[in-house]
Amino acid sequence: MIHTRNDQPRVASVSRLFVSLVVFAAILSNVCPSGAQQPQSTARLSEDQRILHVLNRLGFGARPGDVERIKAMGLDNYINQQLTPEKISDAIADARVRDLPTLSMSTAELYEKYPQPGQLLRQLQRRGDLPKELAEAQKNRTKAAGAVQGAQPQLADEAMMPAEIKAKNESAARNESVGKGDPKALVARDNEAYRRAIREYYLQNGLQLPQRITIELQTSRILRAVYSERQLQEVMVDFWTNHFNVFAGKGADRWLLVSYDRDTIRPNAMGKFSDLLQATAQSPAMLFYLDNFQSVSPNAQPPGGNRPRAQRGPLAQLLMGDRGNNRLQVRMSNNPEQQRPQQARRGINENYARELMELHTLGVDGGYTQKDVQEVARCFTGWTIFAPRGAGAATQAILNGPRADMLRENAGKFYFNPRAHDDGEKIVLGHKIPARGGFKDGLMVLDILAHSPATAKYIATKLVRHFVSDNPPPALVDRAAAAFTKSDGDIRETLRVIFYSPQFRSPEAYRAKVKRPFELAISAIRTLGAETNGGPQLQQWIARMGEPLYGFQTPNGYSDTAESWVNTGGLLERLNFGLTLASNHIPGTRVALKRFLGNAAAEQSLDQAQIMDRFLTLIVAGDITSKTKETLLKQFSEQMAKLVPAPLSGNAGVNNSTAVGMMGAQGQQRQQRRQLAGGEADIADPITRIVGLILGSPEFQRQ
Amino acid sequence: MNRRFFIKSGGVALASFGMMNVAPSFLQRVVLGQSREPITGRRKTLIAIFQRGAVDGLNMVVPYGERAYYDLRPSIAIAKPDSGNGESAINLDGFFGLHPSLTPFKPWWDSKRLAIVHAAGSPDNTRSHFDAQDYMESATPGVKSTADGWLNRYLQSKADSGRSLFRAVSMTQTMPRVMQGKAPALAISNLADFTIRAGQSSASVQGGFEAIYDQTVNDVLGGAGKETFEAVNYLKKVNPVQYQPQNGAQYPRTPFGNSLLQIAQLLKAGVGLEIAFTDLGGWDTHVNEGNARGQLGNLLQQFGNGITALCTDLGQRMDDVLILTMSEFGRTARENGNRGTDHGHANAMFVVGNGVRGGKVYGQWPGLKSAQLYEGRDLALTTDFRDVFGEIARKHLGTSNLQTVFPGYAASEAKFKGFLG
Repeated sequence: MIHTRNDQPRVASVSRLFVSLVVFAAILSNVCPSGAQQPQSTARLSEDQRILHVLNRLGFGARPGDVERIKAMGLDNYINQQLTPEKISDAIADARVRDLPTLSMSTAELYEKYPQPGQLLRQLQRRGDLPKELAEAQKNRTKAAGAVQGAQPQLADEAMMPAEIKAKNESAARNESVGKGDPKALVARDNEAYRRAIREYYLQNGLQLPQRITIELQTSRILRAVYSERQLQEVMVDFWTNHFNVFAGKGADRWLLVSYDRDTIRPNAMGKFSDLLQATAQSPAMLFYLDNFQSVSPNAQPPGGNRPRAQRGPLAQLLMGDRGNNRLQVRMSNNPEQQRPQQARRGINENYARELMELHTLGVDGGYTQKDVQEVARCFTGWTIFAPRGAGAATQAILNGPRADMLRENAGKFYFNPRAHDDGEKIVLGHKIPARGGFKDGLMVLDILAHSPATAKYIATKLVRHFVSDNPPPALVDRAAAAFTKSDGDIRETLRVIFYSPQFRSPEAYRAKVKRPFELAISAIRTLGAETNGGPQLQQWIARMGEPLYGFQTPNGYSDTAESWVNTGGLLERLNFGLTLASNHIPGTRVALKRFLGNAAAEQSLDQAQIMDRFLTLIVAGDITSKTKETLLKQFSEQMAKLVPAPLSGNAGVNNSTAVGMMGAQGQQRQQRRQLAGGEADIADPITRIVGLILGSPEFQRQ
Repeated sequence: MNRRFFIKSGGVALASFGMMNVAPSFLQRVVLGQSREPITGRRKTLIAIFQRGAVDGLNMVVPYGERAYYDLRPSIAIAKPDSGNGESAINLDGFFGLHPSLTPFKPWWDSKRLAIVHAAGSPDNTRSHFDAQDYMESATPGVKSTADGWLNRYLQSKADSGRSLFRAVSMTQTMPRVMQGKAPALAISNLADFTIRAGQSSASVQGGFEAIYDQTVNDVLGGAGKETFEAVNYLKKVNPVQYQPQNGAQYPRTPFGNSLLQIAQLLKAGVGLEIAFTDLGGWDTHVNEGNARGQLGNLLQQFGNGITALCTDLGQRMDDVLILTMSEFGRTARENGNRGTDHGHANAMFVVGNGVRGGKVYGQWPGLKSAQLYEGRDLALTTDFRDVFGEIARKHLGTSNLQTVFPGYAASEAKFKGFLG
């Protein structure tokens, strides 16, 4: 809904005033191309600016008091500390994520406890173990719901999500062909019955819906970014998660990403690049995402090799993660080596090999050829996943099936399948990889790539782009690449060179980067000292601004330059995010703006300009042009005038912020009504409004 | 402001972006000191609709003339056309028929404004929804790292004389792959939400933002800010909440129907819409697909009614509008053990518009006999989807640069099917 009519005449006159102000200012001043963001290069950053710069780049912005704290300990000490995160105690963040059970589960456990309802139902049905209520509910739903959701069982869980998550998944996980619901009553009723039946069945069997996994993973990322003292570690986790991007919407990756974040990215985010590279190469998440798990040497044809799926052995189907209609009883031994090997559905797959060189190591101009891609792909044949889609782990566990223990032990784990491997000789970038190397072929490739000068240059460029400027200064890239090479790819030594470089500390770098939506959301929360549970509503806002975590489809990851993020739709959502946050309309996230005004007595003694200055200092460290300041002050006083005689020192409710308190009882009621009506922020309160405007200002979009 | 200084400093800002031709359009406008011209005159529009989840093309456009079709699908086949049977296929040309849920398409076929391309799709053999959608949207089958979608590359290939803010709009929550890229495009899930959302204070809060962004003249954010408010204000004038469809058009009351309605709204508002996109999911009919009635039938009904309502509503505007439907791959020719179909290969696409040479099924029909099936199971492919996209990009939208739109593909008019004159 748009509520405009009442306010329009006033706005018109205000904008006229601003037009004349702007014109006046433009005539008088020597307009600098980028306003206040890029001071003259001869200038030096003040101490506070240097500290803020480090807090913004090595972390997700300053919390209230951070600048003073770092001033006391010394900026260099802080940087050194951040470079050794293992020495920083992180009890608060650890406690925050403790209640997220999926984070500590193995992939097999996730398959067992968080199965896709549709898949589970189908498996139960096949074994004749589908409970009657579920069968009934499913039947009714199939009859009625076909029109809208489609009754395809593997999508059933989508119907059970809260609307906003569903909306997100609709875009993020399009491959699951999420339907758009029809609000017809009949469908709704049968869907509801179906949902209830599944909910009850899940409850009885201690199961949870799989979308919880991605929600909890996102929650953990948000909570750590907001609360962790290891800020640089979190920035690097974000950096490598994009560098080695994996999309949660691709098949089994939803289940595989938990281990990816915990076991692959985090332990290696500040270590040796070669370790990180090998960890990603062996991660089931990456093997699945870039299809290497099904890359099979064409020369490794097993008996009965290339038959259609229906004729393939049950075990082969299991290993390949087929979702087909396997009616056969499957016998398994615990040793995959004794079993029939993977069958060549598509033979060799070059996806991983190509992206490994183009995106993970050498860069697109890194000097490799299509022939190299083919040879690397041959080296990685047989690097695969055991039961990549879980192979019905949940069904086995529920029915105490013969495969339950074996799956609990192995499902979703990396393994090398020698029978799928091409064991001939290969030549990769001029290096000979001898025949019969087996698993070692891939390791040799990774070693060659990790130590290539092109990789040093490529990684250094990306790091400098991330930490310094969209246009990485070549001199600094060269220095960082040299440090990378000299330290055998030590990530923290490379970072150290960047952080202590004149380019990093130059005024040109100050607020030169446009924040990505995740950075914007986290920095807004940290800046205001807000509390958050990192839940789906906040995740949804990050998605709306354009950066759903684990929601980037293609392997290149989210862009690190401004032009990708500065666009009409994205900017509008950024402005709305600031308003929604400031007015406490994001469930699970709370700001208390009043605390920044001190006690009631002091508050009353503050004039509007002083209140605004406090927030400008808090949010953008006062880095704002005098014109923008005037604009804000106008907004502020105009809104205050409207509210007279509402007291400035109203009493906020227990859980509520100053915002509500300052609106007076009438305003509160109105806001509550509106909240009930549409969940839309009504920014009547002047302080909320001023904070919302500052959060949406160009200055706060930068770091 | 000193104009020379303005241009010079703008040039500095641009240089920092690397290349002029990849800078966002608003920035180019700022640098060149251009203002937006009113959008006048006719322009061609493409409305692309994605059936996500892989529709069963063989039951959507039924090859009832093939005996094999009935052999392959004992429980889900659509009966041969029979005027006495409301559940039989609707005859098109003596060989193909429409699913009975698509009855509203028949008048468009009869008046030669609806064409079908059958056995079309991606030459890549992937049967992953994810990969196949990716390839269809990037239009680079087999290449995953293509950064942009083909509709965006079309936008890049041709300058927009009207500089419309609404040149490319996706009625989805996030930008679909097919429209991602350097050319500006908007993703809007609901026109009414495309505004500053601050309840009763929306207008005054927006005024505040406008004033702030007005002051950051040469800044990349300032440019985007001004453009954002321009778009928001423009849309307010259009007043999306008050829209009434014309000619008795009745859109399905579903999010899909609503997306189509809003596309019609934008078109009629003359905002300069050239590319519109929306999608409809739920086609992944592995189990209980149904035949004339059932899951697929219900979904086709929504699909057909929606498109027909859009055409009806647009009336004479269909002279300049072309609607294209697509789905990532077809489904197995043979029904499976659950009275459904699994992931297949080639599929059928609809092309609708007053400028279409309709009333014809284009493309070579590969047949459904065992030996004719792709990998022994699926409808084989005889038309690369890029030839369909290419014909539209060239002949309807008028790009002169097919190589830009379809990199790595020898697109040429010789391969066009000829559904556009």
